[in-house]
Amino acid sequence: MPFDVDAAAPLSFKSIEHRFGGTEVLRSISFDIPDQKFVAVLGPSGCGKSTLLQMAAGLLRPSGGTVLQDGRPIEGVNRRIGIVPQQAQLLPWKTLLENVAFPLVLRGVKRAEWLRRAEEAIAAVDLQGFEGHYPYQLSGGMQKRGSIARTLVYGPRLILMDEPFGALDAQTRMQLQHDLQALVMRAGASVLLVTHDVAEAVMLADRVVVLSRRPAQVVADVAIPLARPRNVFEPHTVPGFAEAYESVWQHVRGEMSRR
Amino acid sequence: MKRVILAWLPAVAFLAFWQLASGRLVRTIYVSQPSDIAVRLYELFASGEIWPQLATTGQELVLGYLIGVTAGLVGGYALGRAPRLARVAEPYVMAFYGIPKIALAPLFIIWFGIGIWSKIALAAIMVFFLVFYNVYAGVRGVDRDLVALARVMGADERQLGRHVYLPASAPFVLLGMRMAIPYAVIGVIVGEFTSATKGLGLFIHYSSDTYDPAGVFAGIAILLAFVVLAGSVAARIERRLLRWRPPLAGQTELT
Repeated sequence: MPFDVDAAAPLSFKSIEHRFGGTEVLRSISFDIPDQKFVAVLGPSGCGKSTLLQMAAGLLRPSGGTVLQDGRPIEGVNRRIGIVPQQAQLLPWKTLLENVAFPLVLRGVKRAEWLRRAEEAIAAVDLQGFEGHYPYQLSGGMQKRGSIARTLVYGPRLILMDEPFGALDAQTRMQLQHDLQALVMRAGASVLLVTHDVAEAVMLADRVVVLSRRPAQVVADVAIPLARPRNVFEPHTVPGFAEAYESVWQHVRGEMSRR
Repeated sequence: MKRVILAWLPAVAFLAFWQLASGRLVRTIYVSQPSDIAVRLYELFASGEIWPQLATTGQELVLGYLIGVTAGLVGGYALGRAPRLARVAEPYVMAFYGIPKIALAPLFIIWFGIGIWSKIALAAIMVFFLVFYNVYAGVRGVDRDLVALARVMGADERQLGRHVYLPASAPFVLLGMRMAIPYAVIGVIVGEFTSATKGLGLFIHYSSDTYDPAGVFAGIAILLAFVVLAGSVAARIERRLLRWRPPLAGQTELT
């Protein structure tokens, strides 16, 4: 059974159904994110990929099925995850340092400690020297780094990413993909990444779940057995990349011809 | 320096034209004359005649403004955070908003007497609606995704208010507070026109009754100076508190 669900996985979607009004968006979607694995959900725009993330974050209740975290259903807003949203969504009225420290401040961490940990996280994403800057004074890529630091700072075991690099230029995107890979490997977190970019999914993920057009169903669940760290900048030099890409692409292509 | 000259040029030109036209193009009894007004202002302050009036009006202004702002902030924030309550309350607030507040002046005199409290009430109610609507709109306009994200990051309702809703609506709050200053002045002066024993409005009214245009203009000049000064202080505070906002293209220094 390729779509088998592991009950104790950090995150499991079990036969998820969803409709907005009369429109069926998701149809019997089941897959899971194994411990410390990077799973990409790949699908066309508007197929409902982000809806899955909202469910995992506890912001939306599926019409049918359950979302489990560590084997327990998610009830209400889920505070045991980190989110890297589509837009960086830093708070405009806080400096970079205050933004990165924000989740710690919310948890009542003492000032000396949040200062230290926020500085560490900022250093990890190479933003030293910009602590006092407000978001509008940072470039799109830097805001995104800040957003990633804000997630890493409190060490969530599960990180959700919603097309995090979509709005960036190609070079910035590659650099961030490279850094993200290193940061996630170091943090040992499990990741669910939603994207419509086949190359990004193959390059970053251990598994790619391909969704169909609306109503979205799981078309394929493809393992990407490439060694890490992978050279994001030169995919053609990564052994096995072409084959892995092809194994995902055939499903995407199948979906495209189905229109 | 050049900018300063350019900024003051229209004012100087206007005063010069007024000075020359008065008595030649228009009878002085209608429009007075800048030089007469200046003399009158000097007399008023030198003799100390104006101080008790200013003290009364100033007290009414400050109290009316503070009460109006506080009530507007609390009401606007509460209604902004409680959409269900807002759906019920909004049409009523709208209806009250539609009443010309000036028409309430005689009523407030009956309720609060001819002392300072009727003027405070009138100023407060004018300020209230302005601040209320700005705060309400500001809180309602807060990015829902940002709120959801803050919740996931661990914010409870109180923390959401402090870290998200309040700062997000601060530009609206501060704008409303700045715009409310001249409205407080209108409220107080109209109240004093209606019935009062002391105050700048009473002084202007009295000057008019005794055919003293220089006195009327002197009173208006004091009000003008106050509104401009208070407005520029408010604008300065606003810039300081909102330094996190990107500077807007073509942003003016106007208060």
